[in-house]
Amino acid sequence: MMPSPVVTPRPAGRRWLAGMSPRRVVAALLIGVAGAAALNPIFMTPFVELLGRALVLSLLLTLAFTAAGKWRQTALPVWLAQVLAVALAAPVVTFAIYLVSVRGDLAEFLGNEHRLSGFLWIAGTALLAGLVLSLGALVREREAQSHAQALHFALERSTLERQALDARLRVLHAQIEPHFLFNTLANVQALVELGSPRAAPVLASLIAYLRASMTQLRSSEATLGAELALVRSYLEVMQLRMPDRLQTAVAVPKALQDQRFPPMALLTLVENAVRHGIDPSEEGGRIEVGARRDDARLRVWVADTGRGLDPAAPPGTGLADLRQRLEAFYGPGAQLVLSEGEGGRGVRAEIVIEPEDSP
Amino acid sequence: MTRALVADDEPVLREHLVAMLAQAWPGLTVVAQARHGREAIDMVEALQPEVVFLDIHMPGVNGVEAARQIGRRAHIVFITAYEQYAVQAFEQGAVDYLVKPVQPVRLAETVHRLQQRVGSGPAATPAALEAVLTQLAQRLGGAGARGVTPPLRWIHASVGSAVRLIPVEQVHYLRSDEKYTLVVWEGGEGLIRRSIRELAEALDPASFAQIHRSTIVNLHQVAQVHRGPNETAEVQLKGRSELLPVSRSYLHQFRQM
Repeated sequence: MMPSPVVTPRPAGRRWLAGMSPRRVVAALLIGVAGAAALNPIFMTPFVELLGRALVLSLLLTLAFTAAGKWRQTALPVWLAQVLAVALAAPVVTFAIYLVSVRGDLAEFLGNEHRLSGFLWIAGTALLAGLVLSLGALVREREAQSHAQALHFALERSTLERQALDARLRVLHAQIEPHFLFNTLANVQALVELGSPRAAPVLASLIAYLRASMTQLRSSEATLGAELALVRSYLEVMQLRMPDRLQTAVAVPKALQDQRFPPMALLTLVENAVRHGIDPSEEGGRIEVGARRDDARLRVWVADTGRGLDPAAPPGTGLADLRQRLEAFYGPGAQLVLSEGEGGRGVRAEIVIEPEDSP
Repeated sequence: MTRALVADDEPVLREHLVAMLAQAWPGLTVVAQARHGREAIDMVEALQPEVVFLDIHMPGVNGVEAARQIGRRAHIVFITAYEQYAVQAFEQGAVDYLVKPVQPVRLAETVHRLQQRVGSGPAATPAALEAVLTQLAQRLGGAGARGVTPPLRWIHASVGSAVRLIPVEQVHYLRSDEKYTLVVWEGGEGLIRRSIRELAEALDPASFAQIHRSTIVNLHQVAQVHRGPNETAEVQLKGRSELLPVSRSYLHQFRQM
């Protein structure tokens, strides 16, 4: 084997060398062997010497191609610089090899017909093979680039799609029922016109509710505490609207309020309790919101003493949506359990969340 | 002196309407306030006011049903909040209506019309009133008023000391179990205090089929039907290992499957 080509040890040289991947070196050596074998029949030179020249040549041409690719210049497009480097290096390197073989005696080289034709053959073959192979390498590089770009685009698109879906869901969650809003505003107007001191608290609760739902809209990292603020302001509004029919109790341990919790999930259950439990009942009832941790499971519930579930009531989309939202937020470790309230009165809806690290 | 009744489940809105009426119609006396439809019907019976303001959305007996009961004994004005569908029904003019929050100008128009009508007997003809009420009842989703029992949509199942509420879509199958009926759904099972026969009648026949004297399956959960010798078959449900026998008299349901 011939010694590896010597390169001037400059810092930039190391960078160029880094482009010479083992694959590329092996490919260069194989091409050298093939070139030597192809030219052997028309050369009188021993095959070993021809092979040595071919290997040195192909390695140096590959180095020229690689170096031109790494060369930081702006005058030429990179691919053109690489092709020109190969085209230039082919005759120059061949000439240098011949100069070495005649020990620097230029006259002897120029005067020997065999050496001249040998030079032309080797340089010509190297030029042709070098150009074809470097163009091939460029095409492959371009293909790999566009493939990587396509992958990048696909990734970006799927990320964007997911973000768009999330945003849509958040907007959907934040939708405030017009019926609720208009009825509440009618109450506020009535209280103002009646000169009641209760106008200000109702308006304050409505504003707190609207603000909390807007904040929920923006935060992707929602907590149980934030959700409870929303639920409290909603219940305050409803209690001012139906003071004779609704009692409420919200009690959640402070330690649980930092828990991650899907936005609007608890509000959906509380709204259901008002809409299907308290509102249709002439006497009304009580709504209790609570949470506790048992055996690492987080349990969050809404219990009402209202009218209870009508067995023929078509299941609304609200609960099905909520189940999906819980699954999207927690994975399969979360479930929504509905049961009859204590003593058969009303409905208890409980969200049970398994600890995240459990299988 | 004209006498009126105001019915609304929200006390603030009742008070407000009473106050607004005092301004818009000094000659009107609000003789009573009702909190729901049933109370309104009783009060009309007892006090016989000429005008009744009825909130459509009330607990128990809603405004539309109350109006049907009150009939032509009083002039009815409906009150509604953002119920476009209901407002469309009023546009035909047989019954007057107010939209919450009530605007003084709009209330003045209603008062003007009422003042003219109160002197000249009942406002709406029975047919026109009935037409509006029927349309309203339909738009409010009161299909149950037709006398047809709607199919069962929720199963009350005892699990230990709790009574779970299961949407029928989640039920896989039901099987009679001595005194009770066992209901099996995705992720659990419980007992129902109703017989298989009662349940077969109450469930939607489009989704549930009886396959045996003691078994009802949710057709949407059927994975496949294995046919055996001698006119027998077994049903396998999605994601379940047990095979439910189909008895000969129910086999015809699977002929086409």
